[in-house]
Amino acid sequence: MEPGPLTEPVLLILLSLVEQPRHGYSILKDVEEMSNGRVKLSTGTLYGALCRLLEGGWIERFQETDATRGRQAYRLSRAGRRNLQAEVGRLKQLSRLASLRVAQKEV
Amino acid sequence: MLALYRGLLYLYPPAYRREFCVEMTAVFEEAKKEAWQRGVVEQVVFCARELGGLAGGALEEHMRVVGGSDFLQMFGSMSGSRRLRMRSEFRFPKATVALMTIILAAVVWTIEKAKAISASVPHTSQQVGPISVQFTIVPTLVLVLIIAGTAGAIGWAVLFALRRSGVQRFIGFKG
Repeated sequence: MEPGPLTEPVLLILLSLVEQPRHGYSILKDVEEMSNGRVKLSTGTLYGALCRLLEGGWIERFQETDATRGRQAYRLSRAGRRNLQAEVGRLKQLSRLASLRVAQKEV
Repeated sequence: MLALYRGLLYLYPPAYRREFCVEMTAVFEEAKKEAWQRGVVEQVVFCARELGGLAGGALEEHMRVVGGSDFLQMFGSMSGSRRLRMRSEFRFPKATVALMTIILAAVVWTIEKAKAISASVPHTSQQVGPISVQFTIVPTLVLVLIIAGTAGAIGWAVLFALRRSGVQRFIGFKG
């Protein structure tokens, strides 16, 4: 997976891993909370995205000390963090441009 | 419900199943517990979301296995949230257009050359003389265009049914 514009669910998944490593269910809940219930991921969607992110080296598996079967945690890799920062910068620039254009239109 | 979910996981390619199915089942069980506490409507929505996600995800994984990620990107993604990124940098290669033009010119030139040869050879014997060929390039091109148009329309219909058509993306963007 190359760096570039991300879809909202993928961006939210990555944002949920910024603070701490999380396992699948925790990511689902955090994404739902961050989007105020607007984005609800199915397990198929979540693990499809996690699979791509793992393959692209954006995230990595994280071994928890009290890990139980079926509760694999994931965390952002260094490359993933760097790519996410680049994406946030791109979104900021886009948002700034949009604000300027809208303001110009209103004047 | 859990048995159905586990059964549907067999739709995924074996390698993917080995890697993620235990985790997916565990997460599904946790999510199901919560959905079951929220009432019937939430249960129905949850089931539809999960089954749809599994079916789309399995199809997408099989497409990746068959043709790799590039093959998948040619067709977009089966479920919107699984699409990781837009391939905004994709352009139809100019070299391909040039090559196709050259090939078309070569075909037309060959047909004209064949016509000239056919006209120059005397038709003394019906058995050994050159066979009279009806060159039908215009109807052929029309037929090719019709087939291409039909294939395009079918492709668009599939994308529309999957809510991935350009119109729907544009409406989503506006929304």
